[in-house]
Amino acid sequence: MKRYFGRKLLIYALTFFIAVTINWMIPRFMPGNPVDIMISRAGLRGSAVTQMYSYYMDAFGLDQPIWKQYLNFWIAIFHGDLGTSIFLFPTPVIQVIKDALPYDVALLLPSILLSWFAGNKFGALAARNKNLDNTLLPIGYILTAVPYMWLGILLAWVFCIVIRIFPLGGGYDFSMQPSYTWDFYWSLFNHWVLPFLSLFIVQFGGWAIGMRNLIIYELEADYSHFLEALGAPRKLIRNYAYNNAILPQVTGVALQIGVIVTGALATEVVFAYPGIGYLILQAIHNQDYFLLQGCFLFVVIGVLIANFVVDIAYILIDPRTRAGMTGGAE
Amino acid sequence: MQKLPKTLIFIVVALSMVLTAFLPAAPAAVEYPRNETLYTSGTQWGAPSSWNPLNGGGYATGTIGLVYETLFIYDPLADKFTPYLAESANWTDATTYEVKIRQGVKWTNGQPLTADDVKFTFDIANPNGDTKAGLGYSALWKFLDNIEIKDANTVVFKFKENPAYQEIGFYFYFAPILNKAIWSKMKLEDITGGANKNPVGTGPYKFQAADQDRMVWVRNDAWWGKDVFGKLPAPKYIVDIVNGSNNVALGKMLQGGLDLSNNFLPGVASLVNGGYGIKTYYKEAPYMLSANVASLLINEQKKPMDDVKFRTALAWMININDIVEKDYTGIVKAADPTGLLPIWDKYIDKDQVKELGWSYDPEKAKKILADAGYKDVDGDKFLEAPDGSKIALKVTCPSGWTDWMAAIQIISRDAKAIGLNIEPDYPDYGPWRDAQLKGTFDLTLQNEAQMSSTVWSYYSWIFQNPLDKIATAQYGNYGRYDNKEAFALVDQLDKVKLGDDAAIKEITTKLQKITMTEMPTIPLWYNGLWAQYNESVWTNWPSADGENHALPAMWRGYVNMSGIQMLLNLEPAAKK
Amino acid sequence: MKKKNELLYFALRNTKLRIGMAVLLFFLLLMIIGPHLTPYKPADFVGPSSAPPSKEFWFGTTTFGEDVFTQFVYGLAPTFLVGIVGGVIGTLLGMLIGFVAGYRGGAVDEVLNILTNVVLTIPVLALLLVLVAYIPVRGVLIEAVFIGLTSWPWAARAIRSQTFSLRTRDFVGLAKMSGMSSMKIIFTEIAPNMASYLFMTFILMFGNSILNAATLDFLGLGPTEGVSMGTMMNLAVQWSALMLGVWWWFIPPGIAITCIVGSLYVMNVGLDEVFNPKLREM
Repeated sequence: MKRYFGRKLLIYALTFFIAVTINWMIPRFMPGNPVDIMISRAGLRGSAVTQMYSYYMDAFGLDQPIWKQYLNFWIAIFHGDLGTSIFLFPTPVIQVIKDALPYDVALLLPSILLSWFAGNKFGALAARNKNLDNTLLPIGYILTAVPYMWLGILLAWVFCIVIRIFPLGGGYDFSMQPSYTWDFYWSLFNHWVLPFLSLFIVQFGGWAIGMRNLIIYELEADYSHFLEALGAPRKLIRNYAYNNAILPQVTGVALQIGVIVTGALATEVVFAYPGIGYLILQAIHNQDYFLLQGCFLFVVIGVLIANFVVDIAYILIDPRTRAGMTGGAE
Repeated sequence: MQKLPKTLIFIVVALSMVLTAFLPAAPAAVEYPRNETLYTSGTQWGAPSSWNPLNGGGYATGTIGLVYETLFIYDPLADKFTPYLAESANWTDATTYEVKIRQGVKWTNGQPLTADDVKFTFDIANPNGDTKAGLGYSALWKFLDNIEIKDANTVVFKFKENPAYQEIGFYFYFAPILNKAIWSKMKLEDITGGANKNPVGTGPYKFQAADQDRMVWVRNDAWWGKDVFGKLPAPKYIVDIVNGSNNVALGKMLQGGLDLSNNFLPGVASLVNGGYGIKTYYKEAPYMLSANVASLLINEQKKPMDDVKFRTALAWMININDIVEKDYTGIVKAADPTGLLPIWDKYIDKDQVKELGWSYDPEKAKKILADAGYKDVDGDKFLEAPDGSKIALKVTCPSGWTDWMAAIQIISRDAKAIGLNIEPDYPDYGPWRDAQLKGTFDLTLQNEAQMSSTVWSYYSWIFQNPLDKIATAQYGNYGRYDNKEAFALVDQLDKVKLGDDAAIKEITTKLQKITMTEMPTIPLWYNGLWAQYNESVWTNWPSADGENHALPAMWRGYVNMSGIQMLLNLEPAAKK
Repeated sequence: MKKKNELLYFALRNTKLRIGMAVLLFFLLLMIIGPHLTPYKPADFVGPSSAPPSKEFWFGTTTFGEDVFTQFVYGLAPTFLVGIVGGVIGTLLGMLIGFVAGYRGGAVDEVLNILTNVVLTIPVLALLLVLVAYIPVRGVLIEAVFIGLTSWPWAARAIRSQTFSLRTRDFVGLAKMSGMSSMKIIFTEIAPNMASYLFMTFILMFGNSILNAATLDFLGLGPTEGVSMGTMMNLAVQWSALMLGVWWWFIPPGIAITCIVGSLYVMNVGLDEVFNPKLREM
């Protein structure tokens, strides 16, 4: 156990270190000087430019030696200071991200968990069931192959434009101010449904197919045939198969998280949903390297946390590790 | 296996608790009734993050105009300055400008507006003053000697000899008047770069709420304009929607959820005529007022662009009609060869344009090049320069600016048709802008020259002189065109008194001749003042027909150019 | 020899494989002959703005009056190119790292394993977004290389574990005794024994590269020149095709990607059944 977690933590630490280093490199190796661009965006003229130029170079610490900038960067990160957004000047990057984060969590968590459960159940049902396998499974294949944003576009087109059931754009209705009222929650929910659905549907297809294939592998494994020969009920065999197949599916979550996060980014862009994905795109288009850095860092941290949770979940459900931890007491 | 759901439910519950902690503290429920709310979009491209009127490129939509006000407003369509926070003003002699401050104007914190506030506003921008803030109107101090307070309501601006009246006029409707009591306590970096989260202004609206995707203003019922104009603006709330995408803006507009869109919507021609209830300033092409001129910038430091014959051929070869009709589906206007916007039409010497201007004529372009010695020496179907060197140029625009990308494709196509090897190229915005500032591009598009109170702004943009030592400070003349005569004329133009149209015409006629014969840039088309309105909730929008000729825009710098007049003229649709 | 024939027999009989192949071939053919079916170029302004599909413009026109069918058929080539180049690079890297880690074991394995896990944890596309934003002028090839360079980890992981189990087999031991070099053993003894597996890996990589490229293109970070399925969707959304009801602009590229990637996935399952008799339909 200890060794296992030690290794995992080492990997996480290393990932974090590399990610932060890449992160630090972003603005420094991008074409063009971020301060130049900001000043040219601000529409300043004449002497004002010179003055502002030195002011911002100083404020962003771009005039210090490289190694010092790197060190300062680490110090700042541990103080939760990710710099100031250029595009949303003078809002601190951490504030910008904090505003966007709830929307991401609200999209990602339910879509991952629900699609995982539903997909696994459905996949298990479909395995070795000729009717389901031949009719609904092809749909599963199509779903996994659909680019997230295209499904988003289709949903937006059908449900927001053709039949106007759901609103398009924003996190809640533009006529509202946040408040703890049902109206407001309802509005939040309405804006959330479609981005959630487009994430859910694509993932669902993936889990279903994965489960279906795994179950078939398991059902063809020697132990299944052995049980069958012993005359065990089919239901029992399938249960065993399911319990074994669920483990790789848990690991699958860890492998998929990066992909899902990116899917969420694209989906947010389609629905103009105010999460981090949307911010990343805006940061890129506006050459806001500080905001980009912050977003990237948060995505990495999010993925690391998710991986960690998956690790724990894996241990909790893997009978072998569980037995090792609790001494077999159920 | 049975344990799994419980574990996960626990995780979900725990995480949703974390999530709730992130939710902003929610005030009591506020909803903006549709019939009291004006929804606008098209100015704000990112979350509103600054309410500092001195942050020229980044303040939240309406910070100047709705909250902070200026001494004058300028109406480009009527070419008229209207005293605003100033009650009246006049030049008592050639260098003395006396401004009477409007009586009874109150800041939203209850203090009265005084001459002190006005003096303070301009003093902080003085590069040799105490504060030395580098601001958009700091350049006024090139001509300004000092500011005196004559009495509680009168400020006297004392200028140096021979002031540049044109530029001065510009700064007087450009500079937002600040509350001295508040701003004098701020540190320099807060003045120039602070967010100014509680904006205290004199204008018709106050801060209500802001979120990542919106900015909400609420009407200031104690606004001074109520007595002066006899009414308050009709909308109680203004919700400005951050337009992450044109897509969402148009969707909202079609569904009646957006009243004014200042976005560029390429399909708008079909919408205006398609029964969607969408209106524009003009009923037919070009539908929009012209706001700025898109020009082909030419880098005169490079060969063969340093050859005026070559530049002339470029002007004759571009099929501008294709750009207007096919690229823009008719919502822009082909530019006059002088490049002067329609609001400056009165300065154009039409006879001179007839003589020196150009139109699409590839044969003529070919002939100009042939006469100048450009011919295909090596048989690659492309012309070589008279000295035999190969010509391979790039015409650029930022990647993703689809309308411009299409335009430079057309330019490239037309160039190849007359044997010039000019390829379109789409770098990212950063490198593209960098190439202009540093003067390393070949050919590119730019539309920085906006409408303003003075035609001087257009010519100073073309002929900026001297070149700035810091590339970032370069504004205009990216092709590094050098012509002492033109530079002198621009300075002369700057010093013409406001309203002296005859003098302006005389000087600009000479400048027009230079731009048409020397081609420092080639004006291509006039970009529109993109404005689409939906009349379902608010009516009486500006229109070419009738009397309501305000600028229909919430863009930065446009609310104080009669955009405020548009707001005052709005009427609720229900009234009819 | 007999085994090969048997495989071929099952391959031809496998419905999944047949369907997948057919769809893939259809799009490949369209890619090749498509540009000859249209008199236009993708960026030509040929028709009226936003015209619905008609005899003249099979897939209608864009807001700018470009022919959607032309863009569609020209856009297929970059899509396939990204898939193949990204897939090949990703598979080769995955093989290299997987083989070495699995065969050598020990410290080498440990280091490579950590590397794999690190790259696996960094959200690849978020990283791609950042990397791609560096390059001012981008081409399809650069995009494909970037995608390949970041997509190898899961393949490396899978190949490693396969190699690990093959390493202890008799024939590898024999080869070792005969004094073969490690590289030679890997490529003459181990790789052929998992050829089917490698091929399937490539097929999946192929599909994933296409999806990744489509996402990048959709976000406006694709090639700065030319068309692809992703850029078509990007422009369609950017220019309000949804609102204006110009569905013919964004539906075809999505269908193409879905069909191509879907057919690759289906082929993958089909191949699995062919190579793995136990999985065949009963």
